[in-house]
Amino acid sequence: MDQVCIQIRGVCKRYKSAQEDSLSEVSLDIMQSDVFGLLGPNGAGKTTLISILCGIIPVSSGDVRFFHNGTPYSNAERKSRIGFVPQEYAFYQELTARQNLDYFGAMYNLSQNRLKERREHLLEVLGLEKAADKKVGTFSGGMKRRVNLAIGIIHQPQILFLDEPTVGVDVQSRNAIIRYLQQINQGGTTIIYTSHHMSEAEEFCKNIALIDHGKLIAAGGLQHLKAEHQVENLQTLFINLTGEEYRD
Amino acid sequence: MFKLYSSLRKELLLLINDKVGLALMFLMPLLLVFIITIIQDSAYKMVNENQIPLLVVNQDKGSEGAKLVDLLTKSGLFKIDSQNAIEQQSLKSELLSRGKMIALYIPASFSAGLESNAEDVSTILMDDLGLAHDTTARRKVSMPRLSFYNDPVLQENYSYSVMSVIQSYMSVIENSLMIDRMYANMDIAERSAKLKDKMISNRVGIDQIVARNNNSTAIPNSTQHNVPAWTIFAMFFMVVSLGSNIVKERINGSFLRLKTMPTTFMVVMFSKMAIYVVVAALQVALTFSMGVWILPKLGLPKLSVPDNIIATIAVIFISSMAAVSYALMIGAFAKTEQQANGFGAISIIIFGAIGGILVPTFVMPGFMQFFSNFSPLHWCLEGFYVLFLKGGSWQDLRTVFAFLGIFIVFCQLGTYFKLRLERII
Repeated sequence: MDQVCIQIRGVCKRYKSAQEDSLSEVSLDIMQSDVFGLLGPNGAGKTTLISILCGIIPVSSGDVRFFHNGTPYSNAERKSRIGFVPQEYAFYQELTARQNLDYFGAMYNLSQNRLKERREHLLEVLGLEKAADKKVGTFSGGMKRRVNLAIGIIHQPQILFLDEPTVGVDVQSRNAIIRYLQQINQGGTTIIYTSHHMSEAEEFCKNIALIDHGKLIAAGGLQHLKAEHQVENLQTLFINLTGEEYRD
Repeated sequence: MFKLYSSLRKELLLLINDKVGLALMFLMPLLLVFIITIIQDSAYKMVNENQIPLLVVNQDKGSEGAKLVDLLTKSGLFKIDSQNAIEQQSLKSELLSRGKMIALYIPASFSAGLESNAEDVSTILMDDLGLAHDTTARRKVSMPRLSFYNDPVLQENYSYSVMSVIQSYMSVIENSLMIDRMYANMDIAERSAKLKDKMISNRVGIDQIVARNNNSTAIPNSTQHNVPAWTIFAMFFMVVSLGSNIVKERINGSFLRLKTMPTTFMVVMFSKMAIYVVVAALQVALTFSMGVWILPKLGLPKLSVPDNIIATIAVIFISSMAAVSYALMIGAFAKTEQQANGFGAISIIIFGAIGGILVPTFVMPGFMQFFSNFSPLHWCLEGFYVLFLKGGSWQDLRTVFAFLGIFIVFCQLGTYFKLRLERII
């Protein structure tokens, strides 16, 4: 039976000096081993929700709880169990891929031997082995995305948060990233993912939540939502629910 | 421990990869110490050791002008260039065209005027004493005036010093003339030598004593000032490397990513501080080594290392901490790397200027001396001065530690609150 991994209840977030809530009364259950898509137009509140779940920013009100096999765990423990792959290239361009992985791996409390093993594994499976000792600043966009991903999963997290992990990369890199993510999901990692690529999300996600103007407008199994709204694909569902007007 | 080691290693790798930052931190102080010490040393020598080039035009028709030139020559202070054919009208242009800084013009009536004045003084004295004397009326010549010319670039106090020296030799000549005249009027001219010797040669001497708290023999010179001064300047210039390093990490999300990891931000900050304190210590070691071993080989004064090594280490440490803390604060507040580099560098130059790095604070106007108290570089320099020039003790260093301690706490708190505001901590 599926077990809840993250329980979100009535979460609101209003930034200082903001007139409106960035998130308003969001409640969701994310299941263990799910690939969960957080979708929505620009400024909908996806990154805010991921930042709350990762512990980067606090909620204004509401509650977020984490579970593993039905047992809750503390926020402090959460840090060891989650991986975060931000939109930005959040690593050191002046260092090599290997040096970046060494540093962030150590910050995840990996032992020296385990770190070496994971580092070499990831460099190989993500096709970075040959360039591992070159400065990341010289890498292509696709390679940088793969380094960004490798840092987030070096400690084999139970839950992986991905904020637009394939933005601005070529088809080959995107395929490599999605293929590897599917692989680790089969190994039991829960993936929470945001993207503007509807076809990619449709292919990748089992369950989705659509957020707009900080509010949850739909949530559930992808197939179920498509049937409920009588649409053929996720893109049509997205446009039907969020409208066609431009977003800033 | 492995976490700390990895964090230190990362900071070290970032530093090694920052070639511009390394050049600014290590090459710049060496060049500054080298260049400024040479320039200032020649100025020190010009005043203390070298003879001052002095163009003299002596058009005196008597012998007193020659006596004055002779006294100036014998003083050893001046390198006299006698050009008696030059007209006074063209002396200004001659001074500038000959590249001399100062010139002295002795007028034709110099001896006559002095002798006339001596005669008047002698007459008054003889009359007051009721002594008979030669009452033959002599032609009155008014008191002569010397003309002192100086290049406009020459500092005013320097010109006054030279004029004072000339004035003091003039006193010698005038007194000698008066004594001669009085003795001559009393028909005992041959006995004037003893009085002249007593009055002119036997004057109050001044012993110069440098105020120090121990028996240090370090003499204030260009090396003793420039080596610590420019080392401190370079220490604070780490703002360019460390400040922009922090801005980058803030902007690219590395700091936020670390917030999602099971680590404390203190490890990151401690590693940064530790690496850059070591950098500052290396800067000191490098420039001090230059002062001790390289500068003397170039004919410049040797740096005298202070005796109190523990106090020296303490001053180096607190100065480094002040520099690192300032760089952290600039890195935390700057919005872009350009801002950190631009503001950081300019602020250090301003702090350096008001802090006495470029020119000593004691020559500054009063209000600037007050403002120098707000420069951390001033207190760092003060710490080194206490050690190097005043043979300082812990007692003397208390104020330095207090001010730098306050500055460090202020910067660290500023950094903490700014990073907290950005939810990085």
